[in-house]
Amino acid sequence: MDLVALQGILDNLSFAVLLVTMLVYWVGAAFPQASYLAGIGTSGMAIANLSTAVLLGARWLEAGYFPLSNLYESLFFLVWGITTMHLVAENMSGSRLVGVVTAPVAMAITAFAALTLPDPMQASAPLVPALKSNWLMMHVSVMMLSYATLMVGALLAIAFLVVTRGQNVELRGSSVGTGSYRERSYQLHRADPVDAPTQGGGTAVLNPVATSEMTLSPQRLSLADTLDNISYRVIGLGFPLLTIGIIAGAVWANEAWGSYWSWDPKETWAMITWLVFAAYLHSRITKGWQGRRPAMLAAAGFVVVWICYLGVNLLGKGLHSYGWFL
Amino acid sequence: MKTWMAAPKRYFKKEIVPLLADLRLAIALLLAIALFSIAGTVIEQGQSLAFYQANYPEHPALFGFLTWKVLLAAGLDHVYRTWWYLSLLILFGTSLTTCTFSRQLPALRWFSRTWNFYSQPRQFQKFALSAEFQPSANGSAGVAAIADLMPLLKQRRYKIFQDGEKLYAHKGIVGRIGPIVVHVGMLVILLGGMIGAMTGFIAQEIVPSGETFHIKNVTDGGPFANLSVLQDWSVKVDRFWIDYLPSGEIDQFYSTLSVLDKDGQTIDRQTIHVNKPLQYNGVTLYQADWSIAAVRLKLNNSPLLQLPMAKLDSLGGRIWGTFLPLKPDLSDGVSLIARDMQGLLLVYDMQGKLISTVRKGMSVEIHGVKVAIADIIGSTGLQIKADPGIPVVYLGFGLLMVGVVMSYVSHSQIWALQHEGALYVGGKTNRAQVVFEREFLSLLDQLDRQDVEARSSDDQLASV
Repeated sequence: MDLVALQGILDNLSFAVLLVTMLVYWVGAAFPQASYLAGIGTSGMAIANLSTAVLLGARWLEAGYFPLSNLYESLFFLVWGITTMHLVAENMSGSRLVGVVTAPVAMAITAFAALTLPDPMQASAPLVPALKSNWLMMHVSVMMLSYATLMVGALLAIAFLVVTRGQNVELRGSSVGTGSYRERSYQLHRADPVDAPTQGGGTAVLNPVATSEMTLSPQRLSLADTLDNISYRVIGLGFPLLTIGIIAGAVWANEAWGSYWSWDPKETWAMITWLVFAAYLHSRITKGWQGRRPAMLAAAGFVVVWICYLGVNLLGKGLHSYGWFL
Repeated sequence: MKTWMAAPKRYFKKEIVPLLADLRLAIALLLAIALFSIAGTVIEQGQSLAFYQANYPEHPALFGFLTWKVLLAAGLDHVYRTWWYLSLLILFGTSLTTCTFSRQLPALRWFSRTWNFYSQPRQFQKFALSAEFQPSANGSAGVAAIADLMPLLKQRRYKIFQDGEKLYAHKGIVGRIGPIVVHVGMLVILLGGMIGAMTGFIAQEIVPSGETFHIKNVTDGGPFANLSVLQDWSVKVDRFWIDYLPSGEIDQFYSTLSVLDKDGQTIDRQTIHVNKPLQYNGVTLYQADWSIAAVRLKLNNSPLLQLPMAKLDSLGGRIWGTFLPLKPDLSDGVSLIARDMQGLLLVYDMQGKLISTVRKGMSVEIHGVKVAIADIIGSTGLQIKADPGIPVVYLGFGLLMVGVVMSYVSHSQIWALQHEGALYVGGKTNRAQVVFEREFLSLLDQLDRQDVEARSSDDQLASV
């Protein structure tokens, strides 16, 4: 089998599938009553996820090393990570809104990699000496996975900001456990069908009943609460990945050329990303900072992750510019 | 004595500690460090004065103010070593320490108690997630009880504490300890970094293949660097070579190094390459750079001659060259130019015209003289480093990684109380609200189903 031809088919297939998936999610958000669209959207994401995985696998077979050596491969790894995290987040939240924000980003990255990137930059190239190490796989794959995860988390924060625009909200979920307590205005009835799919965003919908109801019953999370909490959890997953990725890079650098930190622009930006998301995690437990502000920080984090991932390479210097734009 | 100590001490405890432990300060510091770090990635670091004068002229000033004078005065040519950046880091470390000891560690005490029971039904009202199971009005059948709840909680891996009618169950306590481990890990890394900066040193040597050297060229060292570890041993570069790919690109650099003791006896011998250094006596030698040192050749029937080659920076790229005289009075000669160590030499005449090429092991006739190239000798560029802070930094890395992973876990707690025939259940979690809500509702559902099964009639179902 011709692996190069297979790759050519797969990258275009990923793009086509993601484009359709994005439209499906958008139409689904506009017409919530079309419930079958949710299944189509999820399947589309799963197909895109699989085809990027096979694409990267074919690369691995062809080149003989882990396919993360140039921009084309890393973009597809990013798409794989984003679609994976999308499926995780969608499963966690049960909300179709996740795809409304993640699908266009995955689609845009695929379009750039498959259509815009010139052919010489798509071809796999031999590794430079400094990258010939098992640490490459450990460091770069974890970093890419953390970028993908943080991007999905940040996108959900943006979705939260859109859903709650003009409102004053209290956050749920932080290391000290804010927001586990009952709001006064709502008293829910336990007789609500719990597991039945609900309309709207597909998540819990509040049905306020009279407060005179004496029986104590659970107060469900609203759509905004759900988005916010899933965003927090996904970022909470991306943060350890980022930490481990940076540390793997530091240990590798120390073992390879004797310095675990050398203020290279790429590693400085990785640290900046780490600091921004650390600030986000801390802002959630700060009195007077709750509500939309942490989500704004997370949304800013989306830009920071992109600068860290691509922007630094546009400066075209430092240790991490191998085989990219130069 | 007590009185004059008491006032500053109380001021420290009442004013300084809460300020340093304030989360808003921590967030401001995190963002400030991030912001100032950006400067160092945009402005080229550690360049010469001429570079900044050329790139940041006074007219027109960049953004209207950023001239080379402003840039150098603010230390923007070495952001990460300026007093203001280091002060930020120190302030950050202080805030981290204060927060760890004044907030996080004391908070642990709360979780060490196991008798965290609720005894009043009204205590359940505050939870967003709580429910009550009332006995049926006619009293014909039983109601869900704590005994029914326990296997369900066990199934979900909760740790259960029971005291008669009261129940407390929780899981994921590591999620509460995680952030503390993260902070301690950060502090350990900062400590290790300081040890490294104070006691470590860096040296660089560029050594031709076949030569023995003592490490002397220390380029950077902390004020307490212990250079005595470099005494009493030397290193011989047995061989330096480069493997090339068929396409001509570099595959890998190799140096075979022998560590020699005072008497010249070999103690250790290893071949190093990029990503595989040699360690001896707390000092690590890394393959970092390379150069061409000399060319060995024969002129006609002469003995083997060695001509040193020099790097020609002015021509751009990595090019080495030497002048080979071909007449005793040096009035004629050629330049030999090498681009790499693959063995090809370019021969230029006095007018700078390319007249021939010659490979290693071959010969060429120039102006009637037979020039036979025997070998091209490479130099290995070694980066040499000692950092006594490394074990501490690695310990910090380990703690940080374990800590952040632990911090992902959500600490879920469930309370239950049997009171006047009714069962009250309430619960909360600190992070995973959505997943916990699903778990809690499925728990209630199962409890409800058992409750229904226990009853002979379903007339009261709607009220549950």
